[in-house]
Amino acid sequence: MSTPPFSRRSFLLGAASLTTVPLLASCVGTGADGGAGGGTTALTLQSWIQDAGPKAALESVVAAFDGPPVTLNSVATEQFRAQLSTYLTSATPPDVLGWYAGSVANSYADEGLLLDVSDLWAPGGACANFSDALRALSTGADGKAIFVPQNYYWWSIFYKKSAFQQWGVQPPKTWDEFIALCDTLKARGIHPLTNGIGSTAWMSAGWFDYLNLRINGAGYHRELLAGKHSFEDPQVTAVLEQYARLVPYFHPNQTSWDAQQAVTPMVNNEAAMYLVGAFCTEYFPADQRDDLDFFSVPTIDPSVPSAEEAPTDGFFAAAGSQNPEGAKQLLSYLASAPAQQSFIEKSGSSNLPTSPDVDTSTFSPLVQKGITLLNETAEITQFFNRDSSDALQTTADAALTQFIANPSDIRGTQRQWQQAAQQVFSS
Amino acid sequence: MTTMQRAPAGAAPSTRGTRDRRRGGPLRRVPLLVWMFLLVPLAVELFWVFWPAMNSFSLSFTSWKGVGAAKPVGLENYQRLAADPIFHTALRNNVIWVVGFGGLSVVGGLALAVALNRPGRGVGFYRSAIYLPMVISLAVTGLFWRVMYQPDGPIDAGLGVLGLDWLQRQWLADPDTALYAVLIAAVWRQVGYIMVLYLAGLKGTDPTLEEAAAVDGANAWQRFWRIVMPQLRGVNTVVFAVTVIDSLRTFDIVWAMTRGGPYNTTQLLSTYMFQQAFTVVNLGYGSAIAVVIFLLAIAFIITYLARQARAEES
Repeated sequence: MSTPPFSRRSFLLGAASLTTVPLLASCVGTGADGGAGGGTTALTLQSWIQDAGPKAALESVVAAFDGPPVTLNSVATEQFRAQLSTYLTSATPPDVLGWYAGSVANSYADEGLLLDVSDLWAPGGACANFSDALRALSTGADGKAIFVPQNYYWWSIFYKKSAFQQWGVQPPKTWDEFIALCDTLKARGIHPLTNGIGSTAWMSAGWFDYLNLRINGAGYHRELLAGKHSFEDPQVTAVLEQYARLVPYFHPNQTSWDAQQAVTPMVNNEAAMYLVGAFCTEYFPADQRDDLDFFSVPTIDPSVPSAEEAPTDGFFAAAGSQNPEGAKQLLSYLASAPAQQSFIEKSGSSNLPTSPDVDTSTFSPLVQKGITLLNETAEITQFFNRDSSDALQTTADAALTQFIANPSDIRGTQRQWQQAAQQVFSS
Repeated sequence: MTTMQRAPAGAAPSTRGTRDRRRGGPLRRVPLLVWMFLLVPLAVELFWVFWPAMNSFSLSFTSWKGVGAAKPVGLENYQRLAADPIFHTALRNNVIWVVGFGGLSVVGGLALAVALNRPGRGVGFYRSAIYLPMVISLAVTGLFWRVMYQPDGPIDAGLGVLGLDWLQRQWLADPDTALYAVLIAAVWRQVGYIMVLYLAGLKGTDPTLEEAAAVDGANAWQRFWRIVMPQLRGVNTVVFAVTVIDSLRTFDIVWAMTRGGPYNTTQLLSTYMFQQAFTVVNLGYGSAIAVVIFLLAIAFIITYLARQARAEES
């Protein structure tokens, strides 16, 4: 009695297996073919870059690589951040991964998850001529190089030359001039500053970093972010007091915008200045990019040595890579001057090459000025999260956005921030 | 009358009854293939769902950054939760969310179902129009409403046209309105779903009962609460379970619209769990929050189902 349905089901089952088996086999088949065809194991490059220009630029740079075949996976930045440790600890990790230099890379190096790329930094290697600052940044606690920086960018106050001309104002030289400029612009109905601290709340840390660098110096800044000082220090109070002076100058919609939307009022000449990384040039319409200029956050205390933020992006390789030689080959290629030049030209952002061999004479005057800025500054820091951790960044996001909403309660802000930071350092 | 009342729930047992009579011993006669169809998914479920879930319980007693060995810390994560102001905010927001999201979507869905449960011109159009948001994913809904709420966006512009300028604000950036602004977006999507569930329930009610009550002099209000609602009991159980589960697992729309901000004021347990587990990679602490969410959901559902079962027995 149960035979007819049974046979129909087994027929279906058989039909299903008949169709799936060849499919599976063909998957395996292609995998094997790919490996055999390249002669060596294929490489995987995991990238977090999502801005359209740089993403396309990386794709074209990788396509031009003449080593083993490379599969480029572009993962959404948030997901990449969340899964980075999973990638690195998996049995077959991606061979090469893009990420930030500094504390995050070093913490993975401490776990032994990153490939030692010291030979790339040795004489004759692809990174041999990179600056000492970059070498220090790319070296783990045990003295092994684990990172290959590809590009970096500077932070500054960006403005439009045509707009300043139209308003008859000049870039300020001193902090007092800066505040006076803000007052002048505000009196004329222009929002002096813009920012996007809505879904990119971390943008609020840009001003915190710079005020701290200008008032307390890079040394104190690094130590504060490493947990060696309290956010309840009088030094931090001084920073927040200056920050509170700036709050009325920001475009009130900054709390709803993200870093990219914050450019809109500048495009329309409704806002004047934006403290942001050089990646912002890509956010402006193409016909306004040449109009952009910048000046460094003016000195507040002349006794404090100059410092600039220059976050460095690049690549590291997984210690568990199936093809470590191929991974190093790819890293060397990505670090090479032609690859860096091609990446920067195609990406449309104003990132700087880390290789001194790149011919920068063809780069825009803005980028030339950026190179000069970083070459002349006494100290270089990265950015809040890169100098500390993503966990500490979330405490800064909450503390600073709340502070901007209610700048009068400096002591309360500091107390809550310290409590949250304490949790991060103790966990 | 009793058969009619039981119609929706009684359908399955009655067919099983006829089959059992035809075949005799219910278990022995189940073909091997059917067992396979049951056991294979069960094994998959155990391995891919229950095993990881159990793991998150054990993870919640550790401190783990995702690399290296997890360090056992006992109850420390839970002690930290008890003292964590963001967790308190998230918990409070979740209560607001369950009540607001559940309440508004059930009331709205039921009202729409009753209103649209009669033949008329354009009813089909309205039903589809109201159900349509459901086919859009929550993340897209979030992006769509972010545009609606943005400064000088459609909502502020609309208020301006109506002369209500004093109501204009940065809906998603103002801690007083952000959570409710997200809530409305979520209800906008959910209400069509609840409406469809109730429409199906209303189709299963017996119109003759209502007519009889009308003849006996019951007004519309009385007919609805005394005659129709009792017949919707089965649907109510489903709606309650769906709503509680949906509101406790709400994540995408909040993440898409505010990411828990401004300064953690729209943080729900789920978004805070995600932030802790995956942005900050505190997997132990994140797991502890996940366990709290699980316990809350289970407590709600079990209490309700137990009450429901008792009510059906009596």
